[in-house]
Amino acid sequence: MNRRTFLLGIGGASAGCMRGPSRRLNIYNWSDYVAHDTIPNFEREFGVRVRYATYESTEEMLAKALTGNSGWDVVFPSNSYVGPMREMDLLAQLDHRQLPNLVNLDVRFQTPPWDRQIQWSVPYMHGSTGIVYSTKAPRPVGWADLWEDKYQRRLTMLDDPAEVLGACLKRRRDSVNSTDPGQLEAAKQLAIEQKPLLRAYINAEVRDQLIAGDVLAAQSWSVTAQQAIEQSDRLAFVYPEEGFPLYCDTAAILRESRRVDLAHQFLNYLLRPHIAAAIALEMRTATVNAAARALLPEKDRNNATLYPGPEILQRGEWFRAMPPAAQRLRDRLWTEIKSA
Amino acid sequence: MRRLRITFLTPAALVTLALFAIPMGIVVAYSLLSRGAYGGVVLPWTLDNYSRVFDPLYGQIVWRSLWIAAVSTLLCLVLGFPIALYIARAQRRRALLLNLVMLPFWTSFLIRTYAWMFLLRDTGLVNSALESLHLIRNPLPLLFNDGAVILGLVYGYLPFMVLPLYATLEKLDPALIDAAQDLGATPWVTLWKIVVPLSRSGMLAGGLLVFIPCLGAYLTPDLLGGGKSVMVGNLVQNQFTTARDWPFGSAVSLLLMAAVLLLVLRILGRREQTLL
Amino acid sequence: MKRFLSVYAAGIYAFLYLPLFVLAVFSFNSSKFAVWRGFTWHWYLDCFHSQALIEATAHSLIIAICATVFSTVIGTLAGYSLWKRRLPWLTNSLYLTLLTPEIVTGISLLAFFQWIFRFLHWHLGLHTVILAHISFSLAYVVIVILARLRTFDPALEEAALDLGANEWQVFRYVTVPNLLPGIAAAALLCFTVSFDDYVITSLVAGVDSETLPMVIYAMARKGVNPMVNALSAMITFGLGALILLAGRFQKEESA
Repeated sequence: MNRRTFLLGIGGASAGCMRGPSRRLNIYNWSDYVAHDTIPNFEREFGVRVRYATYESTEEMLAKALTGNSGWDVVFPSNSYVGPMREMDLLAQLDHRQLPNLVNLDVRFQTPPWDRQIQWSVPYMHGSTGIVYSTKAPRPVGWADLWEDKYQRRLTMLDDPAEVLGACLKRRRDSVNSTDPGQLEAAKQLAIEQKPLLRAYINAEVRDQLIAGDVLAAQSWSVTAQQAIEQSDRLAFVYPEEGFPLYCDTAAILRESRRVDLAHQFLNYLLRPHIAAAIALEMRTATVNAAARALLPEKDRNNATLYPGPEILQRGEWFRAMPPAAQRLRDRLWTEIKSA
Repeated sequence: MRRLRITFLTPAALVTLALFAIPMGIVVAYSLLSRGAYGGVVLPWTLDNYSRVFDPLYGQIVWRSLWIAAVSTLLCLVLGFPIALYIARAQRRRALLLNLVMLPFWTSFLIRTYAWMFLLRDTGLVNSALESLHLIRNPLPLLFNDGAVILGLVYGYLPFMVLPLYATLEKLDPALIDAAQDLGATPWVTLWKIVVPLSRSGMLAGGLLVFIPCLGAYLTPDLLGGGKSVMVGNLVQNQFTTARDWPFGSAVSLLLMAAVLLLVLRILGRREQTLL
Repeated sequence: MKRFLSVYAAGIYAFLYLPLFVLAVFSFNSSKFAVWRGFTWHWYLDCFHSQALIEATAHSLIIAICATVFSTVIGTLAGYSLWKRRLPWLTNSLYLTLLTPEIVTGISLLAFFQWIFRFLHWHLGLHTVILAHISFSLAYVVIVILARLRTFDPALEEAALDLGANEWQVFRYVTVPNLLPGIAAAALLCFTVSFDDYVITSLVAGVDSETLPMVIYAMARKGVNPMVNALSAMITFGLGALILLAGRFQKEESA
């Protein structure tokens, strides 16, 4: 390493922190959530330089957003975080005049329950949680099947308290957003009962194990399941009959942003049918954009895993943010489940 | 001399003050505040977080972590001692041998952990090899249990044991070994009665350098243990991420740090030496 | 005994390198999965075509080099002073930095930066990451230097002083050359912990500062990705070659 590289590095680093509000946009998204040409096309068309980085958990993004000067303009919170972020005054209000493409949204998402007038966040991609299983194993119909010893311990659940408690609550036909201590305690008991049957609590990493055949059934997000199914001919997905949680990732503008107009243009760009379709196709996610969905090839448009029909959707329930007392209780219960 | 010493100390003192003491002060403040509704901290001031720690649930977690960390440290010692001895007694290429021990450490810890998951799975290499050699009929459950966690910890921290052990063994006076052998001791007796006692400071340093990170480990129990058990590291990690209870996480960490610091000082103080 | 030790050592080295070997082998697999499908270089080529990966590597290198330089210098000076005269508060603080869970360090630094940014009008970026890395790697340097100094004969310094040198000259011309192996070891250790750090970096990184561990973490979590294998194989072999070269260079010096 020579002096020149060192100085260049220092120069670059200091230049990075002193750049003013020129034609630049900083976007902070989940990984694998845009197509390979989404950002370059945006840069070219609008003459902008985009700084695009990814995060692995909402808390990571929240911790930075809470500082008030993270440097990010656009972030992608899940629907259950939109309310809290608004309460913490982290989001900029959306100007519908700059978002004409909002009409492309699917009817389901035009007045979303967490943000009826789309004042703070634009729906982006949606999904739900269900059970992915090997076709060589007995077919599960609902959450209850995961409590029976049908899978020789080759069963996994998600490493997420909201999801595990959600499944237990649903098994008892309660709401996934329950704050009732009695219901939650009962759910915890169910989870502890299930633990001996489990191989592990594991998230997206279970995909490899499903494909290799180590795991026969897993609680999984629909998008992850779809990606696994495409890489193996022995996997299938089912939406549990007792009900299941729904989530929607949204795009929002941070209030600290000094490029609010440009951010609006990016959000509008994401709502274009061709752009949204390209992302959904390449990343195998489920788009909220009806016009984009119409552009997808037939087998993707009607993919039962990604776009379940209305009779199935009826059983779904949107995740909601938890009030602090309930959150505290759930955390403690999760620790108890994990230590059991 | 004093002026030179002060000049030399100033940068380190500044760094420690600005980048450690003040941030730690913030953490102490956090531990005395209350949890914000969705993360962060808010008033009022409270001692609740500390009193919550004294709950049998967390005691169980601490006990478990102590046990796993202790076993891992012991295994590191048993496995690491012979190799440190080998390198110390090597006639040539000692630096190379030592660097070869350190080299795996340069690859990302995460990648190596994923590699172990790949190896230990039911359809992984180890089981496949054993099955093809007809040594077993069904795959062994090598992954997602305490054994896998200990394996992962030992694998990750072995170099931290070997280095200080090597440093001590290298300085061992060969004349002592010669003398013992002249007096008729077999190699094994020489090992147990001479070499091991004289390398105590190395074993201590290595032990601490392994035990402390093992206590705070969270990635290994999460990935290799299948997230089925909670160690102190997981608990703290969870508080700052999913649980978003920064005050409680701060309280737990501070108590843990204080306890370990006291332990370290007591062990080192008794022998009147600094680490290594 | 010697035979036993050699065999045992070979076994331990095999154990240490087994996962790396497996990773390397499968980095040449043309299929993404555990079944061998054919030999290919294309995962390696993919690495060089990935803009994100190249930028992240560059960032990681800049951060590691800057942090190492600053930490080693500051730590060597501090270690020397502490050797001359103990300062319990400083040594204990340094121990504490080693004891702190990474996430606590990360959050505390984030909070600290957030507070001073009100006065400095900065953003998170490469500079905050470098500062964070200096903060947690300093202790390693001091420990290594102190260890090395314990084998250093103070008589050498006294002799130089008697011959008329002042303290700074003694340090520069007598102590430092003797310390060089220790300084090199400290720098190596520093570089290692900095290059591999994920938790602290991800918390204090800003807009322009993705590092290699952050990219690898995102990639590896999605499942088996031979690009990750190729990357780790390149890092291992690259650094291994560097160490071999450094070893040869050092041997020539001492010969």
